[in-house]
Amino acid sequence: MNYFTQIFALAIAAIFVQNFVLMKFLGLCPYIGVSKKLDSALGMGMAVIFVMTMASVFTWLIQTYLLIPFRLEYLQTIAFILTIASLVQLVEMIIQKTAPALYKSLGVFLPLITTNCAVLGVAILNVQSEYNFIGAILNGLFAGVGFTLVLVMMAGVRERLDKAEVPPAMKGMPIAMIIAGGMALAFLGFAGLKF
Amino acid sequence: MKYYIKLGLILFVITAIASGILAFLNGKTQPIIEENQVQAQINARLDVLSAAGFFVEDSIKIAKKQDANPLKIQKEVSENWFKYFRGFDADSLLIGYTFVASLYGYSSEVQTMVGVDTNLVVKKIKIISQAETPGLGANCVKEDFQKQFDGKSEKQLAVDKDGGEIESITGATITTRTIANSIKIGLNHLSKSVEIEEVD
Amino acid sequence: MLREFTKGFIKENPVFVMALGLCPTLAVTSSVVNAIGMGLAATFVLVFSNIIISLIKDFIPTKIRIPAYIVVIASFVTIVDMVMHAYLPAIHKSLGLFIPLIVVNCIILGRAEAFASKNNVLKSILDGFGMGFGFTFALVVIGGIREVLGAGQFLGMNVMWTSYKPMLVAILAPGAFIVMGLLMGLMNLKKKK
Repeated sequence: MNYFTQIFALAIAAIFVQNFVLMKFLGLCPYIGVSKKLDSALGMGMAVIFVMTMASVFTWLIQTYLLIPFRLEYLQTIAFILTIASLVQLVEMIIQKTAPALYKSLGVFLPLITTNCAVLGVAILNVQSEYNFIGAILNGLFAGVGFTLVLVMMAGVRERLDKAEVPPAMKGMPIAMIIAGGMALAFLGFAGLKF
Repeated sequence: MKYYIKLGLILFVITAIASGILAFLNGKTQPIIEENQVQAQINARLDVLSAAGFFVEDSIKIAKKQDANPLKIQKEVSENWFKYFRGFDADSLLIGYTFVASLYGYSSEVQTMVGVDTNLVVKKIKIISQAETPGLGANCVKEDFQKQFDGKSEKQLAVDKDGGEIESITGATITTRTIANSIKIGLNHLSKSVEIEEVD
Repeated sequence: MLREFTKGFIKENPVFVMALGLCPTLAVTSSVVNAIGMGLAATFVLVFSNIIISLIKDFIPTKIRIPAYIVVIASFVTIVDMVMHAYLPAIHKSLGLFIPLIVVNCIILGRAEAFASKNNVLKSILDGFGMGFGFTFALVVIGGIREVLGAGQFLGMNVMWTSYKPMLVAILAPGAFIVMGLLMGLMNLKKKK
């Protein structure tokens, strides 16, 4: 019975309380870079959810069955980043072959994801927080959902911002940062939630 | 095909060289890291029980509950050992105990070195490891906060909100509660082990 | 030649002008000490990966360029990680996750790809130092503002008047975004003039 509560707690923590973008500062480059249009934000979000979940699966397997048994923990950074890079390539190829429609909407974002620190971040955090296989997958999934949530929120605000009068010096990136600050302030309100 | 094998080989060579260098450096730095940790513990122990001339390690068997979270790796810890040190002064007189109290706080494991006298009243504490939120929970390393634990006994160790005598850090009740509770648990184990000693 | 070094500070500052490496910039700048630690760690990786990459650039086929660079960068990041853990355990602890994440700092892969793979070793070293110090400079500015406003301190010393009540928000996550946004706006204002 405990299972469901723990999953719920993990979801709340990963999506709101410890939001990757606003609280942990992971994945900021796409957050600022790909949040000008709602469509592309949604596309990027979906691609990130997918890659983060897959990366959690593979890095967990590599950590547990390769690095730990052979006492190679110090190769973690290299192993993880190579895994993520090849995973992204593989996913790109598979989607291109099997689902051209999906590729059309997600394709442009996939190469960008290799250097999205949220992906490597979730892989390392999975190990640090000692999640088991299922925990790691869920953490990757929910962290991706949290990323997508704030990305889409940001895109929604920025689309409306086009019609607003912003001081010229603050146009673009600076005002996006201020908005992110406002969002972070709001998300700080979740801080008391702990299960 | 041949071309791809060549590409793979080049990449393999680079990775192999890199791994070799890292393995070598790991062998060099790992002992230093471990020694630093041991040294830090020794220093912290002397800090919280400064009157002690030497320490003797001891431990007591305690039943530890299993981590109930089904999403985390289950460690086999149905039974565990609570480690503590007896501190003696220059005349080999027992003057107190030290132990490391540790619990998971808001975003990290908070470890506290605790020094207590023979009546199990806290003499001094020192936070030795934490990664709580900067500006909030991380303020637990401040002198003023740690000072208020001095002279507290097991009963008084609770946050003011919970009816105790520890004033909580602004915006970081969870961190404060964690520290107070971890020390309380440690004192509890210690009191049991001291009782056993007296019976002996 | 000197230009390769100085351009990183203001004109091509990786953080303020090119908006690269935002994650560590915002995450570790809650204090100046952390900012300096992160800046120097990244500078080390930047300089050495620039050296190695400009040395081996002719042996690496373009097809596997990026993975090869990533391996080089990841190795130096691991070295920094180990050395800091051994000799600067306190800073290592507070930078935490963001040390391994130097690997995906866009500044480093960006310089490898845009500069070191096209230039000789000496120029690459200067570029590495310039960009690294530019990054450190930006971190220290942001970290300084946040620490002074949010804790009334600079490098751990009290610098504000005694009755100053710290603006806690500056040290927390929202403060990072707002200070960064205002600084970027200020840079824009200066550029326009």
